[in-house]
Amino acid sequence: MNPLSMILADLRSLRWTAVVVVVLVAAAVASGVLLDVQERAFRHASTRAATDFPLVVGAPGSQSQLVLSTVYLRLDALPLMDGATIRRLEGDRRVASVAPIAFGDVVKGHPVIGTTADFATRRGSVAVVEGRMFAAEGEAVVGSAVGMAVGDEFAPSHGHGHVTAAPSAADLAEEARHVHHGVTHRVVGRLAPTGGPWDEAVVVPIETVWETHGLGDGHAAEGQIGPPFDAEKIPGVPALVVRPQSFADAYGLRAELRAAGLLALFPAEVLVDIHAALGNAREALEVANAIDAALILLAVAALLVTVTTLRRHRHAVLRAIGAPWHFVFVEVWAVGAILVGLGCAIGCGLGFGAASVFARLLERMTGLTIVLEAGGAEFAHVAIVFAVGAAIAGLPAVIAARRVDLLSE
Amino acid sequence: MRPSESEPATLISPAFRLEAVEVAFGRSGPSRRSALTIDRLEIQRGRSTGVRGPSGAGKSTLLAALAGLLAPITGRIFADDVDLSRLTPRRLERWRRTKVGLIFQDFHLVDELSLVENVLLPLRFDRFRIDDAERERAVGLLARLGLADVARRVGRLSRGERQRVAVARALVRSPEVVLADEPTASLDPESATLVADLLIDHVRDSGACVVIASHDAEVLARTDATLQLIDGHLVAEGRS
Repeated sequence: MNPLSMILADLRSLRWTAVVVVVLVAAAVASGVLLDVQERAFRHASTRAATDFPLVVGAPGSQSQLVLSTVYLRLDALPLMDGATIRRLEGDRRVASVAPIAFGDVVKGHPVIGTTADFATRRGSVAVVEGRMFAAEGEAVVGSAVGMAVGDEFAPSHGHGHVTAAPSAADLAEEARHVHHGVTHRVVGRLAPTGGPWDEAVVVPIETVWETHGLGDGHAAEGQIGPPFDAEKIPGVPALVVRPQSFADAYGLRAELRAAGLLALFPAEVLVDIHAALGNAREALEVANAIDAALILLAVAALLVTVTTLRRHRHAVLRAIGAPWHFVFVEVWAVGAILVGLGCAIGCGLGFGAASVFARLLERMTGLTIVLEAGGAEFAHVAIVFAVGAAIAGLPAVIAARRVDLLSE
Repeated sequence: MRPSESEPATLISPAFRLEAVEVAFGRSGPSRRSALTIDRLEIQRGRSTGVRGPSGAGKSTLLAALAGLLAPITGRIFADDVDLSRLTPRRLERWRRTKVGLIFQDFHLVDELSLVENVLLPLRFDRFRIDDAERERAVGLLARLGLADVARRVGRLSRGERQRVAVARALVRSPEVVLADEPTASLDPESATLVADLLIDHVRDSGACVVIASHDAEVLARTDATLQLIDGHLVAEGRS
């Protein structure tokens, strides 16, 4: 038995029906793939961006805002904690490094972040790909996505800016109204991409931020930058990023800092909540998507059954000239299964394509680098749609393969 | 049930035997309409039999009944001494597939297939590959019927060309029985002669039983025997 020629003939004769079936199935698959791929990619990207922030410390306030501001540069006014905390942690044997993070200025829409050179390069893991690291107050290095060149000079404005690279005209006008007169920074280097929102930041010595806001520089001697911060009174900071020596140290420090009335948390704690919220939303969307897919497959079934009924004469002729029932069954089933399979394949492509578009939008909105990867969830989704679709294609095949009286047709 | 090759033709059992057959359309009751009533009829193998009669006389119904596509409400139809009504649907289907070539009045071709693929279609029902000899036979049949461009799609053919493709499809398996319903109705005289030649040659070359329902007097004149049907009744039976 070889119904291939009839399968191809059917596909040719059913071209418009075929297009409708393929489009319907592709839509069902694409929405599921988009959902799965996008949600997972965002989860991975947000987790990846937090890996350089083992323990974040801040003044009492919102945990989420502390993490969003420090890790994701969704900046908001945070209460300052006593600068003495820096010195206390610098002297703690359980701490491998501590980096103050300060913000409050903006240039061309990019947030100006004050920290240490060590943290700016993530303890050497992020290279300076052009120029050099800042070595004095007034110098800056820019993230890989910042549209400023080495040698550029700028005057920061008071404000938070965005992690998007394209500020509106209104944003720029607002910046101009709040510029720090008499303060000029010079770009001396560019950092390699990190895949996180910090790629959109202009990074300066923490002392520069303190000085710009008239808080001193945190050092006993003039002209020094970076740790140790040894001034009699170290200016307050909105956040510290602490790298403990071990897991045990991390938990010990977190507990102690909390006992001291500070906010100390692992970013994962906030991410878990965010991801859980995302997961809940995804679950709700998945239910909606499953209902959507079921309705689409029902529509496909109705369409295939209707078309098969309209073509019963063709199948009756085949039976009359000797085609066994399984020849007709395989012919009709294969046509349905091929169309469903084609819809699944196109749906995969559309789903990934749409996910790619959404990923670019999300990147612009968050500064995160969203990497799309195929995963088991998409394959499972596609496999289920294909399996159900292929099973549904059996229904018109059974109808077609039934014995039909040619003379009554 | 095939007779041995050494048996003389006169002793060979008929290809078909009909006993007290009535074929009717519609459900039982007043809506039922009798379409064919034959008390007794034998159709011999190794001969061509023409069926004549006006439209509505029951010619197509007779062919459909012989093919097992219509079951009589009474009586029995034997093919090779086998009562068709006693065959399971699957065995009846296999008998039709392996022994019978059908030529329909409306051709019933697959428009999306080429000429040669239409002709080869019955072979694909029970085998995966078509060998070269079978393909050559299909192309040869089409050539004998004046159809050379065998790769063309059937949907683009004239009625006459389609009719000839239907004839070739019926003969591709060299069936023991050919049931042809108006096989020359859409043909010009020259093509009709080609078709008639092919059917008559098939009887001569393979000893098949060919039954031709037709209005074409020239085709009927070439058959070995004729049946006359009027209003579903067999009114005359004889040699052409």
